[in-house]
Formats: sequence, structure tokens, C-alpha cells
Amino acid sequence: MSDQQVLFQLSAHSLELGGHTVLDAVSLSIRAGEKVALLGPSGAGKTTLLNQLYQQCPEQIALQPQGGGLVDLLSVYQNVFIGALDRVGTCAALWNLVRPLRTHRDAITKLTETLGLETKLWHSLDRLSGGQRQRVAIGRALYRQQPVFLGDEPVSSVDPLQAQMLLDYLLQQHETAVVSLHNRRLALEHFDRIIVMRDGRICCDRAATELDSEALDAFYQESSSPESEQPAPSETGWAITAS
Amino acid sequence: MITTPYFRLRSSVRTLNRVCFALVVAAALSLLWADLAVYPVDPWHELARIGRGVILPAWDEPRVLAESLGQTVAFALLAVVLAVPLGLLLAMLFHWRAVRYFCAAIRSVHELFWGLIFMQLYGLSATTGLLAILVPFTGVFAKVFAEIFEQQAHAPGQTLSPSLGTLKRYAYTLIPQSWSALLSYIRYRFECALRSSAILGFIGLPTLGFHLETAFKQGQYSEAGALLWAFVLLIATIRFWMKPVLLPFYIGLAIWLLPETVGFSNGGYLWQFVSVDIWPEPLRDAQWGAALQWYTTMFTDQVWPGLIQTLLLTQIALVLTAVVVLATYPFATRVLGGPLVRWPGRFLLLILRSTPEMVLAFVFLLLFGPSGLPAVLALALHNGGLIAFLVANASDAEAGGRVSRPDDPKGLLRYAYIETPRRFPAMLAFLFYRWEVILRESAIMGILGITTLGFYIDSAFEEIRYDRAFLLIAVTAILNILVDATSRRLRLMAHADTARR
Amino acid sequence: MSFLSRAMAVVMLALPTFALADTFVFTAIPDADESRLQQRFGKVADYLSEQLNVDVQYIPVKSYAAAITAFRNDQVQLAWFGGLSGVQARRLVPDSEALAQGYEDQFFKSYFIAHESAGMEAGESLSDALKGKTFTFGSKGSTSGRLMPEFYLREQFGAAPEEIFSRVGFSGDHSRTIAQVQSGAYQIGAVNFAVWEKELEEGKIDTNKVKVIWTTPTYPDYQWTIRGDVDARFGAGFKEKVRQVLLNMNDPDLLASFPRKSFVPASNDDYGPIESTAKAIGLLD
Repeated sequence: MSDQQVLFQLSAHSLELGGHTVLDAVSLSIRAGEKVALLGPSGAGKTTLLNQLYQQCPEQIALQPQGGGLVDLLSVYQNVFIGALDRVGTCAALWNLVRPLRTHRDAITKLTETLGLETKLWHSLDRLSGGQRQRVAIGRALYRQQPVFLGDEPVSSVDPLQAQMLLDYLLQQHETAVVSLHNRRLALEHFDRIIVMRDGRICCDRAATELDSEALDAFYQESSSPESEQPAPSETGWAITAS
Repeated sequence: MITTPYFRLRSSVRTLNRVCFALVVAAALSLLWADLAVYPVDPWHELARIGRGVILPAWDEPRVLAESLGQTVAFALLAVVLAVPLGLLLAMLFHWRAVRYFCAAIRSVHELFWGLIFMQLYGLSATTGLLAILVPFTGVFAKVFAEIFEQQAHAPGQTLSPSLGTLKRYAYTLIPQSWSALLSYIRYRFECALRSSAILGFIGLPTLGFHLETAFKQGQYSEAGALLWAFVLLIATIRFWMKPVLLPFYIGLAIWLLPETVGFSNGGYLWQFVSVDIWPEPLRDAQWGAALQWYTTMFTDQVWPGLIQTLLLTQIALVLTAVVVLATYPFATRVLGGPLVRWPGRFLLLILRSTPEMVLAFVFLLLFGPSGLPAVLALALHNGGLIAFLVANASDAEAGGRVSRPDDPKGLLRYAYIETPRRFPAMLAFLFYRWEVILRESAIMGILGITTLGFYIDSAFEEIRYDRAFLLIAVTAILNILVDATSRRLRLMAHADTARR
Repeated sequence: MSFLSRAMAVVMLALPTFALADTFVFTAIPDADESRLQQRFGKVADYLSEQLNVDVQYIPVKSYAAAITAFRNDQVQLAWFGGLSGVQARRLVPDSEALAQGYEDQFFKSYFIAHESAGMEAGESLSDALKGKTFTFGSKGSTSGRLMPEFYLREQFGAAPEEIFSRVGFSGDHSRTIAQVQSGAYQIGAVNFAVWEKELEEGKIDTNKVKVIWTTPTYPDYQWTIRGDVDARFGAGFKEKVRQVLLNMNDPDLLASFPRKSFVPASNDDYGPIESTAKAIGLLD
């Protein structure tokens, strides 16, 4: 493996946002062909790290940001098609908004069958559940047809069985993958390298075979802090206050 | 990303208060110099006639009324239909400084002045009317569309190839992402276009304003009343007749309704206008000393005094507009007005925003005599009615939603503790947007004998001195651009944007 | 104009719309009662068309400036101008010519009117009591509502109106001037005598509230002006023919639109005094 080309390289990289240190002297190198899982509690800097990696070679990457970067008004088909925009001419792309292009229609229909979305192909996104939306986001990443996949909690909202299957498929379709996860078991079973982050630092970077569930749990317990989860103010409806 | 809302809130309220305080102080200082004298008058005879006309409208030629209503809509509709795609294109290029300046320049000139300019080039024709609305509206659309795009989430764009072309990027992410915001803004601007189209009648296009101005001038108040009511009705019913499905039909109808151009043939006039008419003679003859003299005289006699008057009036009108909004919006909301008060409240706001400022200014002129006072009142009521309507709509959209609680306070307490704090940032944002508009409109109050920049521009057109008109319009445009930039800075400082940032 | 050519006007905004070269177009703004212009002057157009044997159309405009613009860029070939606007138009269009004026326009005059609160009495000349009052002209480009009153004010007081009065407004129209002075919004106003007489007759004026305090000397006012190139376009002798047709207009119904008793011959030279007055007060360079 070591003869593969280095794709991502960070050496003692730090980043401050709004007075907070979000990345603290992170050093890291990822080669083509590696499948890396990124673990750590919320607020540890996983999303920031993924964004830093994305900027290193954006033209080779299929990115699946948190929330999927979906466009609510467009249909499932169009949302997946967005992945192919750089392979289609401008006029054809605009025409596709009016009338789907035949070749893409066939390919995307097939893809949505894999994703279990075939009945929703022409639904607009705002009519879908969280799990369905996430599968659309995966569909777009797959349809980008790039060698590298960067995913930020790509399967967090789908049911466990489907999560296994989709993750397998994603890893099989991409030569290289860096994926942040909160499910430790998925990380151990599907990836060959695991990086654990805490407070903007890398506190563990080892081959998956060298780790087990308990070893990983230890990293979480040390750092679990009460302020890490904060409810969004608009979500506190009166029902909560009243109870 | 998780922020700390409490800290943010505290600091943004402080900045917000500071900005508001500065505006009020500026207005109070303006009061010292502004010319707001009240003269003893005897207006009741004339006001009674106006009142009778409004209560008992009469119009004996339904055909003429229908025609001018149709043409009012035709100009507005076609201009908006053309301005939207142009504005969209420019919004996509808004990161270019040249595009931003270009848009600021074209929207900083009032529709009436564009009308007067294009009339020199295209005579009294459909082209003149369309361009007079189309050009400034394109600039406004470009700016607001660009702002809407800026407020969208970046995530969808990140999943695209970084080398993707602008058009494809917008067509698949930013435009569909902001679709509902774009549509509701276009709908709002269509109402504005109807007003502009009506007002263009004042300079001779065959829209409602043509007959309204005549009727008002001749003191035929029941005819003026009929026209005003027709216009109010037109605005009030937009959502019932402006259906997207019918748009192609309306466009066809609008083209058919456009007035025919009579006798205009001299197309070669454009060059003469841009190369000769708008430049002072000494400059054309390359007599630099005399040209300098010409500009100095213009500056001391018209530009400077006009600038001062315009700014003073604008500042006072701005703060008064805010007062009008705070005083009127609750009556038009579901939660504060209630079913009994809400409809009269909405009706009042409809009347305020549909009555041209010129008409309001005339009524106040009769009441208070000639000074800045009628101008300030007319501007504040018209713009206040418009903003209050938008604020009330925002409140209604939220009523019964996630943020309402059954134990919320009622009445005045609710107004003071819940609604006003929630609406305030948006209200301030609207107010800043209207600042520019108030500035432009304060320029058209020549009947009051107030020598604003608009007074001198109007005089220059009347005296067929396009060189002066051009200089004064350029000054007004620069002033507008400065005010626009200031208001944008203040808006950012006060976190007055409705969207997250 | 067909649907197609209207559509073209939309599509090709940047291009001038198509010429209707064989139509003779005129415009007119009467000094009183601007309502129903299209109907009233449509009849005048029919009369001209019948007499001249060409297609004649009338277009309504809102201001003297708009009339001058239309005349200058050849949208109209004939216009019923005020004294000042005629002079301005003829300066802009070489070889254009005053053809005829109204009978009344040979000895036109303006009234200075005052609200009773001003406490002014009618006098032989403008008195110093005017100083410090509020004052309104009519339209900025009007001869009887602006030019001549301003000229006599300057002559009497040796100062600009803004220096004589505490405030100077432009009501935009003679009827407005009367309404504004009658309501006391302005204390003094200058108004076209014909409009005043007409409204007095119609009972619109309460003479307890507003009255005439001074009358200007007479001057020439409204006239028909025609472009110099009409002979080339509509045939030799066309200009003379138009003059004759105007002078022969004696249907009271048509004349009431202006409103004038009849039309009498006029020439550019008749308006020399207007031009020099305009230059004297800085309205013309």
C-alpha cells in the first residue's frame, strides 16, 4: 500500500474559528486506496477536518456533507443528477430541468433501485423522510463517480441493516474513502484505518485490526462533557416547557 | 455549527440600539435645519370637495378607465417579465465589482426620471414606458437576488465539481434552493411595478396616473376618487387574478394592450442625446475655464442646496416612517389585531401604500401650507404603510407556528414583549431598503416649493436643459449609491438581516 | 399597429419603433381643462384630416417639455404651444415656424391673485406688501403662470422671486394655483387670466377668499407652430395649407377645446419679446 500516491497531507495543522481552536496541531497523511473511519464525540472537529481535506483536491472528491446538501424543491432524480453536472453540457443540463435526459434517467432509475428509492424518483425532496433524504445524498455522491469519497455521517439516519449495506456499497464504489461515523461497530467492521478525534486533536490513528469496541469506548468516556450537546432554541416548543 | 445564541443576542441588541439611536439623533439634528413651517390655512372647502370625491367616486367613461387599467398592468407585467431574467443573470455575476456598480447606478435613478430620459430617445411610446420600469427594476432584482443567493446554505454547492460552470451551478442549486424566496420577492416587486406604471402616467404614458393627474389638477375629485379606488382594488386583488398558470395568456394580452406608438420615426436621436445634449456647451467647445465656471455655478446654486434639503427631508422621513410602522402594523396582524381589527387595519395599510405620495403631499399641503412638512408626512405614511404591511405579513406567517405558546401574553404586553422584538430586525432591514427609495422619492416634491435635487432636475427638464438634468441626476445617483452602501453597512452591523449570517 | 409590431416593440426595446411616415401628428395642451383630451382633440384631428387630405392623429402630452420633446424628435409636426414653449421649440428645430395664434393671444395677460389672509388690495402696481408672503407660480414652463409674472416681479423689485417671497412653489397648473391660493396654502399666486375668468364664470371661485390684486401688461401667448420639413414630407405648399385650415377653423365646438374665439395669423417675430424676456430671467441662454 505504501507505494500509493499521498492524497491528503496535513502537518501540525491548526485552525481557529470565532476564538475557538477547532483543529489543534493535526498531522495526518492519507494515501490513495485507504478506507478511513473518523470517530469522536460531537464537536471534536470531524466536520472541520473533512472540510480541510476536501479543499486539498476538490476535483477528485464526491463529498457528502452533513444534511446531504440537498435541494428541497427538486425531485429525487434531479438531486441525484446534480452529481453528473460536470459531465453534461450547459444546454443539456438546463433542458434536463424541463425534461430528464434519457441516458441519465435510465442510470439514475437503476441507482435508486439499489438505494430503495425507486418509488420516490419523481417526488420532491421536502416530501421525504430523514432516512430517504440521506439515501438521496448517497445517490448523488455515487453519481459523482469520483475516486475519492468524503462523507460526514453519511448513514446516520438510515436503519442499521441498510446502513451496513449502503456503507459497503459506497466503499466498494470508491477507491479511497474518509468517513466520519458515530457508530463504532460500523467503523471496526468496514474500514481498515480508524482515526479518533477529541477537542480538535487526533488522539488515536491506528489500523482497525489493532482496535476493538472497548478500546474505542475509552476515548469517548474520557472526553464526554455536558456542554457538548445544545438544543437548538427554536426546537424548545411549549410542550417541553410544560412537561 | 453550534453558536452561543445568548451572547450573540446580547451583543446584537446593543448594536441594534446604537444604530437606531444614531438614526434618531441624525433626524433630530435635521429637525433643526429642516424647513417644516406650518402656515395658517383655510383648507376645509377644498378638503370637503376631496372628501366628497373619495366617498362618491364617479367615472362616466368605463372604456377609458378599463383601457388605462389594462395598460397600467401591461407595462408593469411586461417590464417585470423582462427584468427578472436580466436581474437573475446580473445576480449571477454580482461578484464582479463592475456589475455591482452598474446595478447600483441604474437603480439609483427614479422611474420618472428614466421615463423623462427615454422620452428624449423614443418619444411617447411603449418602448419608453417599458424601459423606464425595466431598467431600474433590473438593477433592484440583481441586487436582491444576489442577497437571497448569499443567504442560502453552501452545502449543496459543495457536492458539485468545483470546476462547474456558473449557469449550471445556479440552475441546480442556488435557484431551486431559493425558489420560494425569489417568487415571493418577484410578487412583491410586481405590486411595486404596478405603482411605478401608474405613476409614469404623470409624464404622459396612458396609464392610470395620466387621468389621475389630470383629474386632480382640474379639481375633478370624484373622477380622481374613482381612479384611486380602481387602483386600490387592482392592488388588493392581485393574488386572485395573478395566477402563474395564466401568465402566458396575460403576457399575450399585455402585448396586445400596449399603446401604439404614434408618428415616432427619428431613431437617430440617440447619438445626439448622448454626445451633445447632456454636456454643457463650454465643455463641448473645449473651453475648460468656462466649463469649470459652469460646474461651479451649478454646484453652488443647485447641487449643494438641493443635496442638503434632500438629505434633511430623507432623514426625518426615515425615522417618521419607522414610527408609522410601529404604530400601524399591530392592527393588521392576526395575533394583535384579531379578526375584528385586522381587516380594517389591512385596508388602511392598503390605502396608504396604494395612494401615490404626490396625492398625499397635496392633501397635506392644503392642511399645513407649503413646507417640508407635507413632504415628510407623505413619504412617511406611504412608506410606513408599505413596510407595516410586510411586517404584519411576516407576523401572520409565524402565527400559530412553532414559536407560539398558549401562555403568551396578550394585547399591549404581547406587542411590547413578543411581536415587536421578533419583528424589529426585519423591520429595520425593510427600512434600510426603503431608505434609498425615500431618498429618490423626496426628490419629486417640487409642488411644495422645496428645492430638493428632484426639484432642480424637474426644472432642468422643463427648461430643456439636459446638461443640467444629467449632472443633477448623476449627483442623485451617487448620493443614492452612498446611502445604499451606508444602509448595507448599518444593516450588517445591526444584524438586521432576516436570514442567518 | 398590429400585434406583431407591438410584440416587436417589446422584443427589440433598443430599436426605435416603426415610423408611420404618412401620418401628420399634432399635439396640444390647452391652458384650461385638460380632461378628455383625446376625445376633444380627436375632433380637431378629424377636421384637419378632412381639410388637408392626409391622415392626421393627435397625441396627448402632459407638459410643455413633453410637447417640445415630441416636436423636436419629429414625433409631432404641429403643436399648440404656449408663448415660451413655442420659442424653446423653434430654437431647437431649425426652420420651424409660428403659423397662427388665438385671437385672445394677441393681448394675453396674467393676474396676481391673493388670499384674503394676505390683506392685499388691488393696485396699480405690485406693492411692497408682497414681500415675505408665500407665493406660487403655475407650471415651470408656462408663459402666463411663470415667465411673465416672474419678469414683472423682477422688474418691480429688482430681485429674484425667492428673495421677495418667503416661499416660492410651482403648483403645476393654473387651476391648482387658484385652488391653492383659495385654500390659503399659498397667499399669493400668478395665474393665466383666461383660466381665472372661466372658473369665475363657472362659480368655482369664492371672491370673498381670493381676488385679483394686479394685472400684467399684455403679451403674446399661445400659438400653432409647425416643423420646417413638412413641405418636403407632405408636399409643396403643405405648410401654407395648414395655416389656412387653422385660420378657417370656425366651428365653435372645435375652438372651445383650446378655448379660443378664433385663430389669427402669427409669425416668429411676434414672439421676440417673449424670447428676450426668457433670456432676461435666465430661462433661456
